[in-house]
Amino acid sequence: CSFLSSEMRFHIIIAAFLWAAFVESRKIRGISSSYKRFYRERKSFLCIDGSKMIPFEQVNDDYCDCADGSDEPGTSACPRGRFYCTNLGFRPHYIPSSRVNDGICDCCDASDEYNSHARCQNTCWNLGQKERAYVEGQMKTLDEGLRLKQQLIEEGVLLWREKQAQLRELQRAAEDLQIKLEEHRKRKHEADRLKEQTLKALKAGDKGKAPSIFRTHFKTFAHFAELFQFTQLGRRFGYRAASISCLLSLTGATTLLGGGHQMDLSKFQNTLWDNFHCFHLVGSLLDYTNVKLSCNCIEHYDNFDLQKKLEIDYGTDWEYLFLNGQCYKLKVYEYMYTLCPFNMVSQKSTAGTEVSLGLWGMWAGPAKNHYSQMVYENGEPCWQGGSRTTSVTMTCGTETALRSVKEPSKCQYIMDFETPVACQPVLKQRGVHSEL
Amino acid sequence: MCCWFFLRRMGPVLLLWLAVCLSGSWAVDKGNFKTCDQSAFCKRQRAMKPGESPYRALLETMELTNTRLTLQLINDNNKVRLLLELYRLQGNITRVKINELKPLKPRYEVPDVLIREPPTEPLSLLSQDENGVVLSLGAESQRVIVSARPFRLDIVEGRDVLMSLNSRGLLSFEHLRMRKDTFSYKVTSTVASVWDNIKRVFSSQADPEAENKEGTDPANPAETVKEEEEKVEDGMWEETFKSHTDSKPSGPSAISLDFSLPGVEHVYGIPEHADTLKLKTTDSGDPYRLYNLDVFQYELYNPMALYGAVPVMLAHNTQRTMGIFWLNAAETWVDISSNTAGKTVFGKMLDYVQGSSETPQTDVRWISESGIIDVFLMLGPTPRDVFSQYASLTGTQAFPPLASLGYHQCRWNYNDQEDVRSVDAGFDEHDIPYDFIWLDIEHTDGKRYFTWDPHKFASPKEMLQGLLDKKRKMVAIVDPHIKVDTNYKIHNEIRSRGFYVKNKDGGDYEGWCWPGNAGYPDFTRPDMRAWWASQFGYDQYEGAMENLYTWNDMNEPSVFNGPEVTMHKDAMHESWEHREVHNLYGLYVHRATAEGLTERSGGVERPFVLTRAFFAGSQRYGAVWTGDNAAEWDHLKISIPMCLSLGLVGISFCGADVGGFFKSPSTELLVRWYQTGAYQPFFRAHAHLDTPRREPWLFGPENTALMREAIRQRYTFLPYWYQLFYLAYHTGEPVMRPLWVEYPQDPATFALDDEYLLGRDLLVHPVTEEGARGVTAYLPGKHEVWFDIHTFQKHNGGQNLYIPVTMSSIPVFQRGGSIIPRKLRVRRSSTCMEHDPYTLYVALDNQRTAEGELYIDDGHTFNYEKKELIHRKFSFANGVLSSVDLEPNAQFTTKSWVERIIILGASKPSMVTLKTADGENQLEFDFDASMSVLTIRKPGMNVGADWTVTLQ
Repeated sequence: CSFLSSEMRFHIIIAAFLWAAFVESRKIRGISSSYKRFYRERKSFLCIDGSKMIPFEQVNDDYCDCADGSDEPGTSACPRGRFYCTNLGFRPHYIPSSRVNDGICDCCDASDEYNSHARCQNTCWNLGQKERAYVEGQMKTLDEGLRLKQQLIEEGVLLWREKQAQLRELQRAAEDLQIKLEEHRKRKHEADRLKEQTLKALKAGDKGKAPSIFRTHFKTFAHFAELFQFTQLGRRFGYRAASISCLLSLTGATTLLGGGHQMDLSKFQNTLWDNFHCFHLVGSLLDYTNVKLSCNCIEHYDNFDLQKKLEIDYGTDWEYLFLNGQCYKLKVYEYMYTLCPFNMVSQKSTAGTEVSLGLWGMWAGPAKNHYSQMVYENGEPCWQGGSRTTSVTMTCGTETALRSVKEPSKCQYIMDFETPVACQPVLKQRGVHSEL
Repeated sequence: MCCWFFLRRMGPVLLLWLAVCLSGSWAVDKGNFKTCDQSAFCKRQRAMKPGESPYRALLETMELTNTRLTLQLINDNNKVRLLLELYRLQGNITRVKINELKPLKPRYEVPDVLIREPPTEPLSLLSQDENGVVLSLGAESQRVIVSARPFRLDIVEGRDVLMSLNSRGLLSFEHLRMRKDTFSYKVTSTVASVWDNIKRVFSSQADPEAENKEGTDPANPAETVKEEEEKVEDGMWEETFKSHTDSKPSGPSAISLDFSLPGVEHVYGIPEHADTLKLKTTDSGDPYRLYNLDVFQYELYNPMALYGAVPVMLAHNTQRTMGIFWLNAAETWVDISSNTAGKTVFGKMLDYVQGSSETPQTDVRWISESGIIDVFLMLGPTPRDVFSQYASLTGTQAFPPLASLGYHQCRWNYNDQEDVRSVDAGFDEHDIPYDFIWLDIEHTDGKRYFTWDPHKFASPKEMLQGLLDKKRKMVAIVDPHIKVDTNYKIHNEIRSRGFYVKNKDGGDYEGWCWPGNAGYPDFTRPDMRAWWASQFGYDQYEGAMENLYTWNDMNEPSVFNGPEVTMHKDAMHESWEHREVHNLYGLYVHRATAEGLTERSGGVERPFVLTRAFFAGSQRYGAVWTGDNAAEWDHLKISIPMCLSLGLVGISFCGADVGGFFKSPSTELLVRWYQTGAYQPFFRAHAHLDTPRREPWLFGPENTALMREAIRQRYTFLPYWYQLFYLAYHTGEPVMRPLWVEYPQDPATFALDDEYLLGRDLLVHPVTEEGARGVTAYLPGKHEVWFDIHTFQKHNGGQNLYIPVTMSSIPVFQRGGSIIPRKLRVRRSSTCMEHDPYTLYVALDNQRTAEGELYIDDGHTFNYEKKELIHRKFSFANGVLSSVDLEPNAQFTTKSWVERIIILGASKPSMVTLKTADGENQLEFDFDASMSVLTIRKPGMNVGADWTVTLQ
């Protein structure tokens, strides 16, 4: 013993310490520090669920004794067990016990592969670095995003007010139109009466008399030109499909009548009267329903459109309002995708035509983050029934852009849409839990 | 994959078809496929009714050598002579070959299906008179009786007739002939007769013996004169179905033969049909059809042809099992009737035959469009004997890589590399194991096989490496139709080498398939197959790695615009018409592909190739699935008889698309399908392009848990599956088998096809009813006991057992008397479980004994052929469980040890001792008295070692 130099003694002590540490580490392998209290070296070990008492040597001895897997936190023995990766320098986490010593590196500190062929490197530091850089970037994005969002909210409020005013104006216009409609209704009755008269005259075989009736009531016909002007007004408000038929018949009539107030009766007579089934024309011209329809178009369509627009949920602060009326495009492989928020989604192939992938449906995020997802429904019908739908996930970013499009199943599209208004202050709480 | 989908991509020309397609209901359009009446030869043959056969055996022409008997048959109606060859093959098989004695040109004889020229045994003559001859078939007092007038064959054992051929007089052989209504016939026949005269003159001078021979055959010149004018019927020289005309340059050439099976009420096999396990009689409808076809949305419970054909039928009763292997690759129909007709004919010749009129009998009739009659009568007598007899002819199941017995995740289509990555990650996130992810046709560059979509799969090696890092694998599809495109290397090479199938006019045959216009390589050519195989080499197949395997779809072949969605029968494979080889095409594609995968590793690694079309012998090349099924409960049910039927005829590696290919399954159906698929040999989920996603975690956590549990159960049984496949590879025994195979004397098992056995020891009765609250399973074996594998509850055999079920139930029972090794540490993939320890499940029978086996090798190479394997036998008797080596000369080591022994039906021991070469030690144990389950804790010995565990 006396031969032993102090240096050797030191080595022995170190070795003993390492051995103890090794034994200790076997026993506690795969446990987080908060669970260490369950694994204090005693004579016996009580399964954490309390179901069974086993000798302490049977903890981490590669045989599953506890139904909850708590006796084997560091081996793959228990089917329901979990292994704690400490991952110093990165984020600690649990992996299923089945990934311990399976030859695949799961913990960045390589602690899960202590008895396998896998040559795992400790990559925690690098991962941590990357993660920190990433989070830093995210924070910056978030800050910038939130700032932009505030701006957009302010703009949104202004826009909202403007639109509201517009709506009120339209409503007033509609009221005026109602009054005019009433006038037209009266004139229509007059026209109906005339039509009847003309028809009777014709039926009676007196063909020559008909033009004279027409001439007599020239004023009434002149009125149609006025009607035409009226529909022009409608067009200014941008009414659409429903009124197209009435517009057409009116335009046709007006053209025939010389394109305005100036009416060349002889021309009318020569070109039309003799060769055409004038009475049908007159009949349709005088058709009250048509007139009414065109009024309705104006009254309802624009009003309705704007009203509908304003009924949409643009977020608690109208922050998404600015997206209405905008469209965003992204090319993915051979397709060009277009997202017009609150309106529609479409897809256009390089060669083919445009296909609707859905019309605005609703917000569909989970309760706690209602505005994180949009759904567009009732797109072009699909081959095997149903119609195309698109689900758009809103993510926080400094720009507003369409970032990705996928079609995981036929006719079901998933889009990632980035915009500052999706930024949520809560994001800030995330970060790397560093245990350095 | 269905062909009709393609239509929507074929532009406006097809809009009309499309409309028809859309307006149809969700079922097969039967009008696209022929009935027997629409198939001229079937109609002709079927019009022939049982009766006196026109054939007579010319006993004076009989020649008996050591290996075979030959004999001429003559048709008294047209005087055409046939040559009968009869062989006794080793292993209790009789082969009967009938061909024209002097065919106009050679008739097709199916090559490459038999693994070798079957070894013969001597035949000996027992007696002979003018009515017939009796030959001994070797041991077991088996004889074959050849009756002369009319010709028939009876195989007799003792006093029992096992099988009779032509007893109903349905032998028919449409001899090849010249077409008589054409100018060319007249010219040719004139020339021929002139030539014949010249020959006669010369031969009489040069070969007096030949002259002599003719002289001793008095019938010969007379026959030529007497020959009746052949009746020309519609469809003999040309046949039109829908818009397709078959030019039939060789005219009629059909063959037919009937087989009577006295005492037989149950016949099985002749897949592929979506029908019950027990074949039905066909008197009231069409015969079962064997003609490989791409059938869109096939209908269940009918005899229509499907993707594959194995012309093998098994006949079974409580006394005996036999098989009939009709080696013919042309379109074939099989009629089955069950009656007592024809038995009076019996009595005539064989007065000693048991003759009670109540004796049931099944009559079978085979009809093929062309070729010869070449039939193997596999005489059993046990089911196992028939399996080994058939295996001796066509080989056994390819021994698959272990990983391919795991779970496969497929979908038409995983869209791009990112999609693959995220599905792969989904399995890890939800802790569900899987081994293979699959890519369907969309992964290619414009349906050009052997290529990758340059955008969606821009870096396949990176993707494959990502899977390899997790010890997982991939399958990519390679179909046999090749896009006609001069910028496509594969096409250019095949065209320049002249490897395409030709049309009747000699040009390259072209048809529509996924890529649009496509050529079909002639896989019947060995040089073509060798070239195809070389394309799987790592130097040829860009982006391939060792964990990339292959799937052959559409190899019936599917031709969207062809007759019955397949190739024209008058297309040419060198000198043979497609008509002759049709049912072989898919086998050849499968074979060439499997050979390619083997060769790319220098013959080291086992291939894995899935095929849709198949024929007898396809088992040698890999796995088969039941094609494009649908997400319906009945399709789940039919997966059982369909795979059972395939197993009976050698194809063990069978599975159905889990979840159903067409349509979208309800969550309940999907869960039940996972639970069923987990206990079927080939376990792959697949889905049509138009269906919503259905990865197992998309249906809420509860259902994820149910599907995870089903897949995990599969993985715990992988050692057992692997051992069963090793057994199938060795013996030809099916992995998934009907109950009657193990309980051949119990008639209650004969028609069961809602439950089945895996090997001998696991009985599975999947839940296949919607909203099921319970199932009734028949537990066979009066003296057997069965243990519920989940609860360890013991049940007696020989009873119908009602089992209440919940959504988590998969009724599976382990037979008392068996030992099943399992691995309970289920990991990400089977490869990750390689070195894991075993748990032995010892289920004791009433004698308190049990036996089982364990097979281990490296799981992926052919080194098992060099005996690099472990094969152990476990037995338990008298309280001692021991492990002995079944292959003492084998060399392989494993790290795996025994972590647990669970003995079901045990009593409590006072002490448990383990004895190994290293000594003895006591083991801890736990005894559950309520269930009589003894769990021995951590014995720890290496599973490859010799050891005993003694209970005291």
